Amino acid sequence: MRKSITFYGLTFSLPMLVWQALFFLAPLLFLIALSFWSVRNFRMEPDFNPDNWTRMLGRAVFWQAYLRTFLLSASAAVITSILAFPCAYAIAFKLSETARRWAIFLMVIPFFTSYLVRVYSWQIFLSDNGIFNALFAQVGIGPFGMLNSSFGVMIGYLTLSFPLVVLLQLFSLVFVDKTLIEAAHNLHCGRLRTVFEVIVPSAKVGLVIAALFCFILTFGDFVSPLYLGGGDPPTLSILITDTTKSGQQWPRAAVIALTMIATLLAVAFAAVSFAYRERGR
Amino acid sequence: MTDQALVVFDGVAKRFGNFVAVEKLNLEIRKGEFLAIMGSSGCGKTTTLRMLAGLEAPSEGEIRLDGKRINDLPTWNRDTPMVWQSLALFPFLTVRENVEFSLRMRGADKAARRRRVDKWLERMQITEFADRNVAHLSGGQRQRVALARSLVTEPQILLLDEPLSALDAHLKVRMQSVLSNLQRELGITFVYVTHSQSEAFSMADRVVIMSRGRIEQIGNPQEIYRAPRTKFVAEFLGSSNIFAGEVSNVSEAAVKISTPAGEFDVVPNAAKPLSKGNKATFVVSDDRLHLSNRPPEDRLNRLQASVVGEEFVGATAVIHLEGAERIEIKVQKSHDELEQLNLEPGAQVWVSWRPDATHILPGE
Repeated sequence: MRKSITFYGLTFSLPMLVWQALFFLAPLLFLIALSFWSVRNFRMEPDFNPDNWTRMLGRAVFWQAYLRTFLLSASAAVITSILAFPCAYAIAFKLSETARRWAIFLMVIPFFTSYLVRVYSWQIFLSDNGIFNALFAQVGIGPFGMLNSSFGVMIGYLTLSFPLVVLLQLFSLVFVDKTLIEAAHNLHCGRLRTVFEVIVPSAKVGLVIAALFCFILTFGDFVSPLYLGGGDPPTLSILITDTTKSGQQWPRAAVIALTMIATLLAVAFAAVSFAYRERGR
Repeated sequence: MTDQALVVFDGVAKRFGNFVAVEKLNLEIRKGEFLAIMGSSGCGKTTTLRMLAGLEAPSEGEIRLDGKRINDLPTWNRDTPMVWQSLALFPFLTVRENVEFSLRMRGADKAARRRRVDKWLERMQITEFADRNVAHLSGGQRQRVALARSLVTEPQILLLDEPLSALDAHLKVRMQSVLSNLQRELGITFVYVTHSQSEAFSMADRVVIMSRGRIEQIGNPQEIYRAPRTKFVAEFLGSSNIFAGEVSNVSEAAVKISTPAGEFDVVPNAAKPLSKGNKATFVVSDDRLHLSNRPPEDRLNRLQASVVGEEFVGATAVIHLEGAERIEIKVQKSHDELEQLNLEPGAQVWVSWRPDATHILPGE
């Protein structure tokens, strides 16, 4: 059912519409225009030149970076969701009301410190002479090359998205109808099985949105791939900075940015339609 | 314990912190009976049902199913399916998948599952909705899905927690006959929790009335209606006038009870032998009182009262009266009978009744 847009609805949503138009839609249109500009003698000139697109999308380096970024973010979404779920589950179903409030508070605390600071401090733990390798040396193993690897990037991605994913999962789990859980138990479904048969499907929308947020946050992240992944091989975000630095190629960087936006829109659309898909007619 | 008992509650109590939900409950539920547990909210009826389903653990006492203690048996290992007030259908499954759920959990093979589910979809007349999403069904259809889902394992008992309270009056009556017929055909035990007297009395073989975690009375609907045991039951049924007083004279045929409203002749009750000086409470159903503007002929129990107001109850009306000492009296009459009388608010009327219309409450 479609509701007609009311005067009040329009009035209240006006600030958001203005904001979106000014700071999302307008820059996006400019970015699209920019991707067709030319660069001559390190200077940009307005133009309608599809060359940037064919050059960028024709390069193996671009597609390697694209694939790597996509896989890293997709893995982060899956790994973070799996690690976050038991945590969110315990907070939602096992803790008392008071304990739950404290747990939510603790989940918010990491956002007090800058993400960059948290990633830098991971370097101290993960580097070849870092804390972890020193501990491993105590038991006679290692050293492991944890910094400047995909493992390092993944640690950074977890740092970035774990608390948020837990919170998003938690808010969908607390709204799971408790009667459905009892009904499942009553119909011969044991405790663990109920988690997968009833709780996960009931909270599906929230769980998918949490994973989607993780994907979105990590897909565009620049900090972890650079400081914990070493920046080589590059992710798309690193490729953007490299492209702008080499010969003022802002138009080609715009091409990368636009493919990223298109990817995020496609992934977000697919995720949301999966989340809201209904069984049966 | 009779050999017919399917479920036995043996001194079962349930406490939540300091709150006593159920106090020392002793109850036998027979094989194949339709038992209604009735009471106002917070009386412990739902807790009793949930303990039987294994959703609450008793704090004290023992629950036996088929002679075996089930206190510590988790709900998923009992075959005591329940139909919830909200029905608790799984919104992420189709009708067929909902009905199939417990069979799948028990690991029945696919072909057997299909056969059994088809049979129950057919029986509950919901085959055409098998592939629908449960959210897109009407209230009555959802009821049938919930019943099919609970009965698909063919258990020996079905628990129902006010499943009809969300339905409109017409559908409610129709579902009542669906439930009664189903219970008779299957021959299994139904335990039906409700706060509605009409639901309990129209379907149940026996009714349990609970109050504050205790059983007030168990009996068939007729017995409870005509011979309530306690003041609570009489008040809960809502159609009785209650008089409390002291026995002033006892003879073979009648007991005289002196109350603030006057002295009345009451039929003795074998369940409550009385002698002079005992406290006693008796009730008269509101449909067994006579009303007149003039004093009625003698030898009937009678008292004078003034009209407070009139309440329409479909084909009949209930006249509310106030007697001496602010005693409240209700009289139920057909509209025809009432037309002959002056019932302006404040009008003086005579209320009278025959001694055999009275019933002494044995529990008071």
